[in-house]
Amino acid sequence: MSDLKDFKTRLKIEKDKLKKRYLENDEKRGSFMGFALKLGTELVAAVVVGTIIGFILDNWFDTKPWLMIIFFFLGSAAGMLNVIKVAKRIQEKD
Amino acid sequence: MATNPMHQFNVYRIGPEIKIAGIDLSFTNASLFMLISALAISIFLFFGTKEKKIIPSKISLIAEMFYNFVAKMISETAGSKAKPYFPFIFSLFMFVLFCNMIGMIPYSFTVTSHIIVTLLLAIFIFISVTVIGFVKHGFSYLKLFVPSGVPKLLLPLITIIEIISYLSRPVSLSVRLFANMMAGHTMLKVFGGFVISLGLLGGWLPLGFSVALTGLEILVAFLQAYVFAILTCIYLNDALNLHH
Repeated sequence: MSDLKDFKTRLKIEKDKLKKRYLENDEKRGSFMGFALKLGTELVAAVVVGTIIGFILDNWFDTKPWLMIIFFFLGSAAGMLNVIKVAKRIQEKD
Repeated sequence: MATNPMHQFNVYRIGPEIKIAGIDLSFTNASLFMLISALAISIFLFFGTKEKKIIPSKISLIAEMFYNFVAKMISETAGSKAKPYFPFIFSLFMFVLFCNMIGMIPYSFTVTSHIIVTLLLAIFIFISVTVIGFVKHGFSYLKLFVPSGVPKLLLPLITIIEIISYLSRPVSLSVRLFANMMAGHTMLKVFGGFVISLGLLGGWLPLGFSVALTGLEILVAFLQAYVFAILTCIYLNDALNLHH
């Protein structure tokens, strides 16, 4: 009788372990897809924001169009920085 | 015209016109569907948590699943310090998810396919995260913009780039949700239009595409709600655990 009980608890422990592993795998895949979808907009958004900041500063200081051009390139750099940050986060999860 | 694929995004007034101080505050179909999703969440969670049984009913199982999903997401991405913000992130996730899913029902209206809705949500998140960061860390929160180990000459440039990167958060957050929902729904309508115009002979192919796209759209609806919530967690993590 004690054998049977022992077996039952062991079975339960193994089943739990298996379940946990499945759950972990599922989550990883889900978040990967989320991060992959993130990359594109991340790159574009920073360029747009940079250009808008440049445009506003241009209107303030009357330096059309120089600040807008400078901030366009700074925004592109920020976009790449965003992408690098996301990629780092994906690698950390691995 | 019903064949226009953008017709589904029209916002129109329901009931009387309400104007307060020159601002149009009338009840529209967008407000109606926001109300519907809020009510649906309340009803679903009310019945999901009402009964206390040893063997849970199906609806309470689903409610607990959502709870666990969000709780795990927060603890994994933002750590234990983010526990007090659970109610906010949970309601945010449920609201976006239900708005997306209710939008998948034919003849309904997708609230999240309008950029003003998603942008306001994102700006609210952005401002509150910034305020939380300043409250928790004071002015040392500004260290977020000054990465360590950068040569002095490059520091001003890097700081400007970091600030632009920080400011681009609400834009990327809102545009992602809005663009995904709008593109998906437009595509569904376009393929639906093909079915009609190609008729009985050629209409079967776009019909098949339409069915497949509906499945894809349901996936996207869930995924975008998940991404929206997890990004909020990541931003919260940056504000709570400063690691620069």
